[in-house]
Amino acid sequence: MRKIEKKYSNDEITVTWVPSKCIHATTCFRELIEVFNPRNRPWVNMKGASTERIIEVVDKCPTQALSWKYNKDIAVQETNKEIKGSEEVTPEDVYISKLDYESKTTEISLLPDGPILVKGKFRIIGQNGNELKSMVMTSFCRCGYSGSQPFCDGTHRKTGFRG
Amino acid sequence: MENKDQLTTFSLIKNGPVEVKGDFRITGSDGKLIETGKTIYLCRCGGSGNKPFCDGTHNKNGFIS
Repeated sequence: MRKIEKKYSNDEITVTWVPSKCIHATTCFRELIEVFNPRNRPWVNMKGASTERIIEVVDKCPTQALSWKYNKDIAVQETNKEIKGSEEVTPEDVYISKLDYESKTTEISLLPDGPILVKGKFRIIGQNGNELKSMVMTSFCRCGYSGSQPFCDGTHRKTGFRG
Repeated sequence: MENKDQLTTFSLIKNGPVEVKGDFRITGSDGKLIETGKTIYLCRCGGSGNKPFCDGTHNKNGFIS
């Protein structure tokens, strides 16, 4: 995966998206489609919601593919450098390019101090024996505190989970 | 059906770990491959002393899911 960082700013903050970290957890666009819409170019519209709301949703990104900073804390030089010459990609592009549909082996990765990341073909059986939707990528909570169990919602960063 | 049965299965155990069964590879938070059998139980409560695997701690720390 190419190392790309995309930056999106409003008057107060700059949101950074690192495609190589994005696992298509879809938390951002399920929560705030007005801002995070992978069908749009650019896919992040910083005018779609209040700064407070954007921060709230960015903080829920399970992999920190999305992060944010106050503009006043970012060196002007750095901002200019990152914006120049980078092409537009969206989570959907990442989703398609990252997956190997032919692979039979499911890849499970334990993210440092974070969730269980699963890639490949697999199915999930709920605790009542019911089959949840078969998926090709997801992240399971490991810290025990996610508000959307069994999936990760980024809470591990607030609870200080180590593992 | 046959094809479905071959899929790696993640079974969520009530107030407990997730059972993983099938054809999978698991890498630790250090990026290194972990040798395991074909069925493993991964901690979901956050409290295991044997992470990433379950050690039964969820019974003591009151994990609810």
